[in-house]
Amino acid sequence: MNRRDFLKTGAALSSAAMLPAAVLAESAKLENVKKFPQPIKYRMAGDVKEFEIFIDITEVEFAPAMKLHMLAFNSQVPGPEIRVNQGDNVRVVFKNKTELNHTIHWHGRHVPWRMDGVPYVTQMPVMPNQEFVYEFTAEPYGTHFYHCHWGTLLHMQAGMFGSIIIENPDDPIKKSFPYEREYTLIYSAHDVDFMRMELNDMLERMKERMYLMRNGRFDKERFALFDSKDEFRKAVKAGYQPPYVVNRRAPSELPQPNWFTVNGKSYPSTPTLYIKEGETIRVRLINAGTEEHYLHLHGHDFWLVCDDGLPVPQPWQMNTARLSPGKTLDIIIEGKNRGLWTFHDHDTRRVTNNGLYPGGNLMLLVYEDLPMEERMVGMMPMKGMKMSMKGGKEKMNMLPKVALDE
Amino acid sequence: MLKHKTTYLSITLLVLGFSLASAQVSPEIRLGARGVMSFNVDARSDETSSAINDFSDTALLLGFRQKLYNKLRGQLVVGFQFPDADSELGQVFYHQVFVKLENRSNMLKLGRSRVRSALIEFPTLRDDDALLFTDVLNPFSNGENTEDNQYGNVIEGTHLFGQRVWLRVHGEHFAKTPLSPSVAEADFGLNAIGLSLQYRVPETQMWNRPFLQQVGLGLNNFLTDRRGFTSEIDQALKNVSFSTILNVRADPVHFWDIRHQTIFNLGFDEIVRVDDFAAMARTKSVATFTSLRYLYRKLERPTAQLAVSLGYKAFPDLLTDTNQLQAVAYGFYRLGENFDVGLQYQFLNYSGDLKTLFGDNEHRIQFSLVFSIDQTWNNQFDDRDSLLNLEHGHIQ
Repeated sequence: MNRRDFLKTGAALSSAAMLPAAVLAESAKLENVKKFPQPIKYRMAGDVKEFEIFIDITEVEFAPAMKLHMLAFNSQVPGPEIRVNQGDNVRVVFKNKTELNHTIHWHGRHVPWRMDGVPYVTQMPVMPNQEFVYEFTAEPYGTHFYHCHWGTLLHMQAGMFGSIIIENPDDPIKKSFPYEREYTLIYSAHDVDFMRMELNDMLERMKERMYLMRNGRFDKERFALFDSKDEFRKAVKAGYQPPYVVNRRAPSELPQPNWFTVNGKSYPSTPTLYIKEGETIRVRLINAGTEEHYLHLHGHDFWLVCDDGLPVPQPWQMNTARLSPGKTLDIIIEGKNRGLWTFHDHDTRRVTNNGLYPGGNLMLLVYEDLPMEERMVGMMPMKGMKMSMKGGKEKMNMLPKVALDE
Repeated sequence: MLKHKTTYLSITLLVLGFSLASAQVSPEIRLGARGVMSFNVDARSDETSSAINDFSDTALLLGFRQKLYNKLRGQLVVGFQFPDADSELGQVFYHQVFVKLENRSNMLKLGRSRVRSALIEFPTLRDDDALLFTDVLNPFSNGENTEDNQYGNVIEGTHLFGQRVWLRVHGEHFAKTPLSPSVAEADFGLNAIGLSLQYRVPETQMWNRPFLQQVGLGLNNFLTDRRGFTSEIDQALKNVSFSTILNVRADPVHFWDIRHQTIFNLGFDEIVRVDDFAAMARTKSVATFTSLRYLYRKLERPTAQLAVSLGYKAFPDLLTDTNQLQAVAYGFYRLGENFDVGLQYQFLNYSGDLKTLFGDNEHRIQFSLVFSIDQTWNNQFDDRDSLLNLEHGHIQ
């Protein structure tokens, strides 16, 4: 590439890259609000807070030009955020609008056992067009989440998760670290090819099974569902091939995630955490995926204050938090070092989109009161140009850019 | 100095070559293989023979597919099969060598492939078991092999209206046999054109599809050198086809369907006697073929199938009363995924001029073992007929 071509290309990239450059603009902040789990409204039925949640298949965009079909609670990935007070009586009317089976498991909640959402253990699966009513008292308080427990490996990474925040009016965290703003970040990992193929296969199988069910026909071996382990063993002895054996339906390998999302978005569509100098914010971290994340914040140490929703006996500071699958962590960030800082998984395989860095769960902590003169960043000095942080616009460039390749 | 420059250039090209190679987009890779081995016993009116191992129709297919720019997809398929020993095609026949370009509603296919000589497929052991009834016959062939009728060099454009209506326009070069090798190599001109319109329910929706599974209408024109006529319309041998597949019982366990195809060969009036394959293909005829199929699916996969088919073909213009009849009963039992053991019985009966070509009648029993796979690696995007795309919004 000669110099003229390089400059042409550079100009084109620059104009495209400037699209979200106004990360500090009001419009960007308004848009950013939509990138967090949207609270769902409830209605009071006596002393019960009643929520309506449905599940459907919808198109979701991880990042521009990357669309896929996902299972979405109330057409959102993640599902809507359920926010109640500790001790509230909660009713969730769950409607299945897909042709697949589902349940909702209230991860970490102390619900009555028949409300725990484990198919064939605590309840029958919620079949196509069926409704199931979950009722429980909101306990314990803290950051928690819900997810489907049917076909969990597929259904969770296909989008069936959402946050449930149980608030405590006497929250000790708020007393120790007074904050006004808080953010919920739900992490997930997706093998998008597995999701697409398995969703299609599952839909095909279910069309067939629903046909039989409509006609009142049920075959234990066909549905791979037995009344007891003894019955299952007898069936195997008699020649039944369970789905997991290699000569029936077992896949040749386990899913290997190649897309990593925060709140259903991958960089550069990931949400931004806004903070002001001197402000304290609370960030609720939820891992609804299958991968472990090592979340590292640049330029700061943050306080780890809750683990699995429970306040830790003694908050302690760190700059990298280990978020295992199924865990929630609450952290407090103090606005003590203004600027634009990245917050990302330090297993950088998860900071990729389809194997290309940067991507995945890369996101920003942005001081929204950053002075104008500090919103500039020095560019690589070109021949004959001196690098100067105090230079004029001709020597500086606005941040951020969207860089999608190394 | 020159040597140094050459070395530098070589290194540069090498490095460039590597960098280009690393930039390659990995395509989806698909492997299709089918091994059909059968033990045949033939009892003709004049003799009885057997073949200990007939592996014709065994084929290997390799396909590569990837997303292109602007919502297009590109595909390359290369495949070969092992033809009949007496087919005069050699040990191996490259039956599929084509490239396809498509978007959601349009497809363009170029290369060697299955010609559009039939609207639907029938449940027989091999694709060509009832070819004389199920396919528009190649009037340029000497009939030594069935591949002349099934495969050719094709150019084909397809447009899909909605999800189920397919309009296809196709042009082919059908093989001319026998020809000297030099002539055969030089002659690849278009010698057939046609079109078809089909309503087809996608396979993925088989359990909630209505009674009608498929209905189609096709027109095939062969551009012949008909003697005594100069107009291309008069020289064109026209075949009109109609097909339908009906669900008798669309049950996931005990599935029944019936399929039927009729081919009207409008023929050439002057052909009133059939003494070779080309004449049979060029005289007026009506061929019908109907199959009744029962498919047992125990664990959401085919477990066993039984099919009974009947074909009848009449030749109204011939001086002697000529017709042919075929009955086929085919069943297979699946021993495991991809592996079938099968048994097929065929009865063929010929009258009139066809007796001199094929004999009086023939009974054929075939015991078969069939191993077939269709495996995809690097599956990176969805198909047009996937349930997600059909029922939840199409993602390109």
